[in-house]
Amino acid sequence: MLTRRQFLNTSFQSTSILSLASSIPCFLTRSLQAAENKNHGRILVVIELSGGNDGLNTVVPFNDENYQKHRNTLHITKEKVLKLNSEIGLHPAMTGAAQLVEDGRLAIVQGVGYPNPNRSHFESMGIWQSAQSNPKAHGGYGWLGRALDQNSKQVHTFADAICLGNVDPPQALRGRQSIQSTIRSLAELQLDSHTPSSETKPDESTTDDLLQYVRRRSIDARATAARITKLKNASITKTRYPQNGLANRLKGIARLIRADLEPRVYYTVQAGYDTHINQEFDHYRRLSEFSGALSAFLNDLRDSQLDDRVLVLVFSEFGRRVAENDSQGTDHGTAGPVFLAGPSVKAGLHGATPDLADLVDGDLKMTIDFRRVYATVLSKWLDINPQTCLQGNFAAMDLMNS
Amino acid sequence: MELTLQAKKPDSSTRWREYRPTKKTPWNLRRVVHLHRRSGFAATWTELQRDLQEGPQASIDRVLNGTTCENSFPEDFERMSATIAEAAVRSNQPDRLKAWWLFRMLFTTDPLTEKLTLLWHNHFATSNHKLEDLSLMRQQNDLFRSLARAPFGKLLTAVLHDPAMLLWLDAPSNHKGHPNENLARELMELFTLGIGHYNETDVKEAARALTGWTVIDDRFSFRASQHDAGQKTILNQRGAWNGEELVELLLDQRATPQRLAWRLCQQFLGEGVAQQEDISSLADGLQTHDLDIDWGTETILRSELFFADQNIRQRVAGPAEFIIGATRALELFDPPPQTIILADWMRQLGQDLFYPPNVGGWNGGRDWLRTSALISRANFATGLSRGQFSSNHQLPDWSRFTAKQGQSSIPEDFAAFLADLLFGGEPSPGWIEGIVKGVSTKSHSREVVLQQTIAAVLASPEAQLN
Repeated sequence: MLTRRQFLNTSFQSTSILSLASSIPCFLTRSLQAAENKNHGRILVVIELSGGNDGLNTVVPFNDENYQKHRNTLHITKEKVLKLNSEIGLHPAMTGAAQLVEDGRLAIVQGVGYPNPNRSHFESMGIWQSAQSNPKAHGGYGWLGRALDQNSKQVHTFADAICLGNVDPPQALRGRQSIQSTIRSLAELQLDSHTPSSETKPDESTTDDLLQYVRRRSIDARATAARITKLKNASITKTRYPQNGLANRLKGIARLIRADLEPRVYYTVQAGYDTHINQEFDHYRRLSEFSGALSAFLNDLRDSQLDDRVLVLVFSEFGRRVAENDSQGTDHGTAGPVFLAGPSVKAGLHGATPDLADLVDGDLKMTIDFRRVYATVLSKWLDINPQTCLQGNFAAMDLMNS
Repeated sequence: MELTLQAKKPDSSTRWREYRPTKKTPWNLRRVVHLHRRSGFAATWTELQRDLQEGPQASIDRVLNGTTCENSFPEDFERMSATIAEAAVRSNQPDRLKAWWLFRMLFTTDPLTEKLTLLWHNHFATSNHKLEDLSLMRQQNDLFRSLARAPFGKLLTAVLHDPAMLLWLDAPSNHKGHPNENLARELMELFTLGIGHYNETDVKEAARALTGWTVIDDRFSFRASQHDAGQKTILNQRGAWNGEELVELLLDQRATPQRLAWRLCQQFLGEGVAQQEDISSLADGLQTHDLDIDWGTETILRSELFFADQNIRQRVAGPAEFIIGATRALELFDPPPQTIILADWMRQLGQDLFYPPNVGGWNGGRDWLRTSALISRANFATGLSRGQFSSNHQLPDWSRFTAKQGQSSIPEDFAAFLADLLFGGEPSPGWIEGIVKGVSTKSHSREVVLQQTIAAVLASPEAQLN
């Protein structure tokens, strides 16, 4: 009889293991089937810009006199902006992103928000992550968790979604059945070789008992550890990534994708966008890190001929107030830009630019409901019916090459 | 039928009633272990035996008056603590300040206060990521400790005058005519009322009331010239509100004791144990006791609800409870583990002290069980059992440890003893057998078997619950 430890130490690629299917937990069975399935699906990588990115200084209406008026010290000049057309340009730190637009790999949706904007970080982030006006309603599941729930018959490796980084598990990935794994760095995922084997019995009951929950999580954690150990020798990339946290995490995600781990969704966070004070330098640095990391990631995947399987979605919980505050910073605002990146997008600007002459309480009126972007990603990329996930009918946009 | 249902409905007034042992809820090892793990960071075998004998009243008294720990630090604890903290601040190394706090958790005679200090660090979550000032972080931590059990108004007022907090939430940038809303919003959303009990106008007006509050030379200072003395409407009340009056107004709102009661229940009770009525009833009591945290804590720790079966082992052990709890229960005091190493394990388990993930703090509960954290818990258990964190790197003498407690070191007996020590009895049927089976076939010497048993016990799903 194979012990659990031996089992976990055995390659998941081995087909003979499948004959033991009845004695092993069901998610592992799925893993084994996944290893046999070479027909890989598409992958979504979500980058959360946490803190509320100043959209107005990211996608800049540099010719608008109202922009210059409201942004007395923080406005970006015509000379510095990376022009996309005669009116709109990218922040000067975003040279990598500008190159991606030119290459046809970056789409920018302007003015994305939701009705009755909420300026609390947590509430607004909850709305974006749950795609519901009350994030706690209906079990507190996330839009992607609900989406992955619909595909419970799909086969997976060790999780439906992986979040990489030192953050709490994002609500967006929380689902009723789907499994998400949060990993700080690949190195932390290996078990000490002196660790005794776990005799935890797989629990087939479906109750929400706390101890059974811990048992399920423990088995999942050990399976993950075994899998990651196998990745140690996965091929090393030739692409040069910039030296920053986001770039390291995207490099890790590229490695997991390259190693055929097969979750459909990866998630990571870049923090530091809550720029209430002395915004100029901080914002420059964040956007520079973001833009450099994103383009390295896409180039890396292109070199491995994997990029046509990958779509990147970039969002923030809100934009910032149109008028700067008295501390050379900006306070919490409303709508902002969303990015979609990869060779499958229709590159360039989408949606209407918010009108700076038509503000509500000093804030932008949104021009695109964020759930329309989600609907596009779900229906045109992940092949998942958006209606159930979004609990409403939101028209997909024309953002993807068919 | 309806009558039975009504009879079964929990009556919150009786649920907060003082616990008295009954046939159904006896004072046993399980309840003694529970008291120590929830109110502090676990007890030694000697302390458990003492409390088992002396009964609930004396045991809870000891927890409350800070005399429960028998393994007191050889030298003057407070003086040693101050020395370590000062050296950490001078070195400007955040890891050393984290190590200082873990030193306190490990050697304090008053674990309840350290636990409440951790609670306030979560409630008023301030991160050194933005501050980059260990002196101010330490000062804030001492503030949380010294007022950990004070009336909440006193604590809140002190926190709002705390330079670390004011800088963290941009108070110095909040000027008349140019308000910065950061402090006003978190004051309402996180510190007092909670979401849903105020609106956007309240935040803007409260920000005006707080104008002029700033930090000069690392101290709170009020700049009258920056203060907006005009009329404001906050929570439907019009007046020329200033900061102090705003705090009084918020303390008088019903939502504030409600949120405090929720916070205390979240800290001391298991998942889903306190019902809405229980929280409301505790909030009533807080309101009539000047929002006294000491009263609230004592009420919970003495209550029937706290000692109810449904509350025992129904809470995910947080990183500090897991790490310090294992170290204390296994009596790794001499030599102690290097607390700078323990601090890094705290980070790996998801709680990087002085670096909460955001202004909302750590979610806790099931969120502690993320994949990487569970692998780290297993690795920590292995490292601890092999003495890897101690300063002399010697293997711990587990045979001596068991002999000292008058226990047998035969694998079955040892696993059963650990079950008593850590859980107050076998946590689930077949658990001891499972532990023994997982270990003995792979190991040879008696010491290695004991090590592996400890590692297996601490990594087991049962050990992740308190």
